[in-house]
Amino acid sequence: MKRSMLFTMLTGLLLCAAPLLIWAAKVGEAAPDFTASASNGKTVRLSDYRGKYVVLEWHNNGCPYVGKHYNSGNMQRLQKQWTSRGVVWLTILSSAPGKQGYVTASEENDYLAKMQATPTAALLDPTGEIGHLYDAKTSPQMVVINPQGVEIYDGAIDDKPTTDLQDVPNATNYVSLALEAAMAGKQVQTPATRPYGCSVKYAGSSH
Amino acid sequence: MGIMRPCKPNAAYCGAFIFGAALLLYAGSVHAAGTPIPHGTLELIAENQWVAAGYTVSLGLRFQLEKGWHIYWSNPGDSGEPPRVTWELPAGLTVGAIEWPAPKRLGASTIVDYGYEDAVTLIVPMHAEPSLAAEQPARLGAEVKVLVCRETCIPGKAELSLTLPIKAQVPAPDPRTADLFMATRKSLPRTAPGNWKFSVTEANGSFVLTGKLGRQISQASFFPLAESQIDNSAPQKVLPDADGFRLTLRKSEQLLKPMERLKGVLVLSAGQAYLIDVPLSK
Repeated sequence: MKRSMLFTMLTGLLLCAAPLLIWAAKVGEAAPDFTASASNGKTVRLSDYRGKYVVLEWHNNGCPYVGKHYNSGNMQRLQKQWTSRGVVWLTILSSAPGKQGYVTASEENDYLAKMQATPTAALLDPTGEIGHLYDAKTSPQMVVINPQGVEIYDGAIDDKPTTDLQDVPNATNYVSLALEAAMAGKQVQTPATRPYGCSVKYAGSSH
Repeated sequence: MGIMRPCKPNAAYCGAFIFGAALLLYAGSVHAAGTPIPHGTLELIAENQWVAAGYTVSLGLRFQLEKGWHIYWSNPGDSGEPPRVTWELPAGLTVGAIEWPAPKRLGASTIVDYGYEDAVTLIVPMHAEPSLAAEQPARLGAEVKVLVCRETCIPGKAELSLTLPIKAQVPAPDPRTADLFMATRKSLPRTAPGNWKFSVTEANGSFVLTGKLGRQISQASFFPLAESQIDNSAPQKVLPDADGFRLTLRKSEQLLKPMERLKGVLVLSAGQAYLIDVPLSK
């Protein structure tokens, strides 16, 4: 009995190893490292931030779901609140050139200034490499990484999957919940949710 | 509701337009004209000509979209949002759950959604209590929030209304909407025949849905009713066998708790959609 179980486990591990090379990392796994150019001209590497909490925020300035969080000031509030507590906040721009949400560095800097948004850096990902690495499906989509480099949250920004501004104040914010729990040494209660928003506009996407 | 559109300088054109608009407004009191939504129109229609106490009639939310634009199913998939309806009905009238036609798989590669392109009618049953007062016609109101997408997404909101007389006789079908309701009912998922057998097992990060239908099935796709159960963008591998099929559905990354049942729409080929509810085999 034990030998066949061991055989099954090994086979399972072998079968699982191949998909890991294709599928992006998820909650509980090491957050894949990446290097990108920021809109402020700097080069950013995720592993440089080992030892800090990192939030990844997928962004598309034309998407009404993103608009809900920026026009209400919600995203800016979150960015300020958490960066002031030592969290690194990286806005990721994975729209392909010509598609909604694609911006040049200076366009992004203008947007950040206009919106009074203060991420640590806004990363230009027009090839969608970082997006695909994290299997980002929507904007907004949020990933929280702990100081050990492990993903502790992946999914929706909150529990109100609408474009209504009035749904912002009463929403349960999953990013804040994950950071608060992890910083207090507690388990993250909701580590993964279906992200809501507009699809990330990768090259070749049609909808 | 005023129609504010700039008239061309041609006076005759203006006159004809205003006359046409007036006719439309008059007709609107009997059969609601399409209310604009982003890249389309939305209409509240009824299968029957009047309402009668103690009877159920079917209402329809008729979406007509410009080519290539789509709206979402009750489970939108990886992105998007289904239409949401808030009803305002006179006392004695209540609505049941939306009956959703079988959805289409939209998108490709890493982001797959479920929804409808170009046109769809959502059926909503409306029941009239035996106590329904008949002093005046029933004015039905619906506020619909809808996300309409093609490459980009535009949220829309429409205020719809439909007035139906209340009579004592059994509600008669409305010939103007009969064809549309018949076609829509054909597209609703049906209950699977009693002699079909389904089972679901788990293996290596996937669910395997086995169907024994008494004949070989080479095409099958599954649309889960609940979000975060299966990986929407993962290809659904169909393995036909003499008796039916086996369908592999990769589990969702967001499936954190054990699942008891797999519920959703099984589509075998165009027009053959079935609602199934299968317990997971231990």
